[in-house]
Amino acid sequence: MSLPQSLRSSVTPPELELVASQQLIEIIPLIAMEKTAFISGAFGPLQPPRKTKIPLWMAINLKLKKKCHIVAPEWLAVEFLQSCLDEELNQPGFSMLPFRYAEVSKVLLDIAPDDIQSTDKIRSLLKDLREARQAKSREGLDQLNRGELSLSNLCSLEINEIRPFFVHAMGILTHLHRDASTEDQL
Amino acid sequence: MDNDYFSIDAILAENQKIQCKFKQRIPEMGHLGGGSERDITALSKRQIPIWLAYIIVYSDWADFDIPQPFSNKVRNALRAEPRSVRLSNLVGAGTGWYVFGKTIMDMLGDEQGVEMSEMLVATFKGRLVDVIDQAQHFAALGPVGGGGSGGVDSAPQMFREGLDTTERELFVSAQESSRRMRKWYEEGNGGTKRVL
Repeated sequence: MSLPQSLRSSVTPPELELVASQQLIEIIPLIAMEKTAFISGAFGPLQPPRKTKIPLWMAINLKLKKKCHIVAPEWLAVEFLQSCLDEELNQPGFSMLPFRYAEVSKVLLDIAPDDIQSTDKIRSLLKDLREARQAKSREGLDQLNRGELSLSNLCSLEINEIRPFFVHAMGILTHLHRDASTEDQL
Repeated sequence: MDNDYFSIDAILAENQKIQCKFKQRIPEMGHLGGGSERDITALSKRQIPIWLAYIIVYSDWADFDIPQPFSNKVRNALRAEPRSVRLSNLVGAGTGWYVFGKTIMDMLGDEQGVEMSEMLVATFKGRLVDVIDQAQHFAALGPVGGGGSGGVDSAPQMFREGLDTTERELFVSAQESSRRMRKWYEEGNGGTKRVL
């Protein structure tokens, strides 16, 4: 393959962001538009001020043209994130965040900070969450073995970050492992 | 890290020499070990590269000793603290300690082989977390930062210099991955990169 080494092991964060942009999100349109067919499906009609669900990429586009307000998802709120953070700090496992929470929350905070309540608090909570979860996935390294590794509720971006070296390390462990029974094959 | 025919690492690992003790006299083969004698006499010792040692050992013409990088002294040091051993110094440049170890392990009998495997796995696991930690630390420093973490003789620096080639690969991939994440988190604030 002619791809550079760094792109062979996993997809890049911008690519994940693109994937996450296919998710539906609720908006309050400020313009009227008929039901329109896109490759990924038909969305609309947009009738202000009725709430509609459209893909994130479309919401981004409309928002940047100031033609809609974005309704922040339920989980993107101080209370929910705070409870997740508490769980993260007190429980051994990962808390139940949406699979693509990192991508969606970053995009929304970037383009629509005016539609989200107390953005500063949310930003700092997200950062804390990320750090707490990173510390846990590091602990996962300790338990790494050649067979399997179970880190449930890890989200897409986090999986993607640890994938290259976890996979590599597991491969190495497989090579270094030797069962007493393999003697016959040698 | 594999025994693939085309794997450069495996080829390089086979270039390492191991000490073989011949069991019988082999005429006209004295040049193998670089000596000046005509014949290899029984019970003489020669340094033989691994690619050649396979056939000699499997044909039962010679026994081989566990090479220096895996001697008891090193094993004890690794058992005490895997992170304090400088693996890169144990083997020559261009080869990896793990790759070499794997090659030796495959040649050993059952009992010794399993013991060796356990040692390799324990060492790898014991060092892994530090390798990744340091990789992420260096990714966080950005392209400019370098010798930030406490001088040239500090423990992290020593550890980094002692990384084996296999660990270096891991270090690089972890660093790259971490750097990409950082870049993504930092860029595009305010939606500037998103074009209308």
